[in-house]
Amino acid sequence: MSLLEAQGIRFPTVDADLRTHQVSLVDVHGTTVIAVKFDQGVLNVADRRATAGNAIFYEEAEKILKLDDETLIAIAGSYAAASEAVRFLQHSFKYYARSQLQEMSLEGKLHEVSRVLGRALPGALQGIGGFLPIVSAFDREKREGRIFFYDAMGARFESREFGAAGSGAERIRGAFEYIVRTKRPFRQMKLEEALRETLLLLEIAASLDTATSGIRRLPSAKTVTADGVQELSEDLLRALQRELLTL
Amino acid sequence: MTPYNWQQTLRQKADYVEDRLKEGSPVVALSTQEGILLLTVRRGQRKIFEIYDRLAFSGLGNQSDLEAVRQLAVDFAHAEGFQRSPDDVSIQRVVGVALSPALKRGFSDPLRLPLVFLGLFAQVEPTPEDDLYYLLNYDGEFSLHHRYAAAAGREASRVEMEQVLSELKRVPKLEAALEIALRAWVVGRSSLKESGERWEERLTQELRHGRLEAALLERDSRRDRRFRMLEDRDVKTALSRFI
Repeated sequence: MSLLEAQGIRFPTVDADLRTHQVSLVDVHGTTVIAVKFDQGVLNVADRRATAGNAIFYEEAEKILKLDDETLIAIAGSYAAASEAVRFLQHSFKYYARSQLQEMSLEGKLHEVSRVLGRALPGALQGIGGFLPIVSAFDREKREGRIFFYDAMGARFESREFGAAGSGAERIRGAFEYIVRTKRPFRQMKLEEALRETLLLLEIAASLDTATSGIRRLPSAKTVTADGVQELSEDLLRALQRELLTL
Repeated sequence: MTPYNWQQTLRQKADYVEDRLKEGSPVVALSTQEGILLLTVRRGQRKIFEIYDRLAFSGLGNQSDLEAVRQLAVDFAHAEGFQRSPDDVSIQRVVGVALSPALKRGFSDPLRLPLVFLGLFAQVEPTPEDDLYYLLNYDGEFSLHHRYAAAAGREASRVEMEQVLSELKRVPKLEAALEIALRAWVVGRSSLKESGERWEERLTQELRHGRLEAALLERDSRRDRRFRMLEDRDVKTALSRFI
């Protein structure tokens, strides 16, 4: 018996399995998010599922968020850490613009995302709080949509055509390549064609990954173009949903 | 009797500030159907600024003093909005809690130069009747206004500007608001009663040397930020009579 125990002081003991289970319930995860270019900018599509371990935690999660009027972020991984990071980034961009009386450059925004990921790394290494974002932006200088993805340490990479993150993303990676090589590059597609392809990819991901809900529940879809960020209409999504679910 | 008379010091400071504010370009703000219109004519630096999601600011005085107050307002609003919620950032908190006591401390300190500053803050709400305006003085005193507000270097000019704005019986559309705001501005800028000059002629003269600056704090906006500076195309029709 230790001295503390002799004094009647007890530390809570947690069974290893129980601890693992509790951590998984503590850390809710967003699953599959997709970004592809189209002829006017970038399209983001995501299912609505958030999981906690092997449980479905929520089926109405929004995983595509607006950082500002020209930038979208799609998040996969720890929902709490990602939401807080997004809140910080939104505030940071607005604060910069209002205090400095000029907009933050795209490069500046992308560095800010890297820094946020770097700060979340200690938690991610302990198995809690890790997340991966896909950033989509309309570059006013180049007059085109751009897609950036990151590793957990904050290293940034740019994609020419598409980006995906989350548990279902790895399983459909080859399908993106197949579409680009056999049909046409996403950046040459009209919005509706790109949307049809990405919704189908999401449905395929759902058939291969239990954590992805696919398109049976209406997914989230947003674009970023020269006109800013837009949420795609429910009517358009429902029409494609009906068409694709009968395939 | 002490060799130091603090009342006299405060009076001297007030005289110093008011003397410098006299020549400043007035500022007008009024509720329109589309949002809050802020308007002035400037010869130098920018005078109308976004503070937070629903807050805007304009004023007259030394540029560096306006900038100091603006930065303080932006810092306070963003710290509060991040720590709590953007819904918790209000004009009352920014002006009444953050700025007013700081200005008062500065003005009362005998060893410090007072800020040459007169500020007009606006907060847009879902309906024009609920829009809020605060006028903040260089000594920390502030007052609450509804529907419209005007800031001018002379109290008499401010009263004359408010008389013009009070002619509005209904909440105007932006186009009509621009015209009455221009009229209020020129009345505040130069006492037309003394010269007998028509306001349109006076405004034409003023616009030869100055540049119209106007911003809209939008009531309903799809955009992330409601504040936008009005561009030439937005004010073209309203200005066409004068330039």
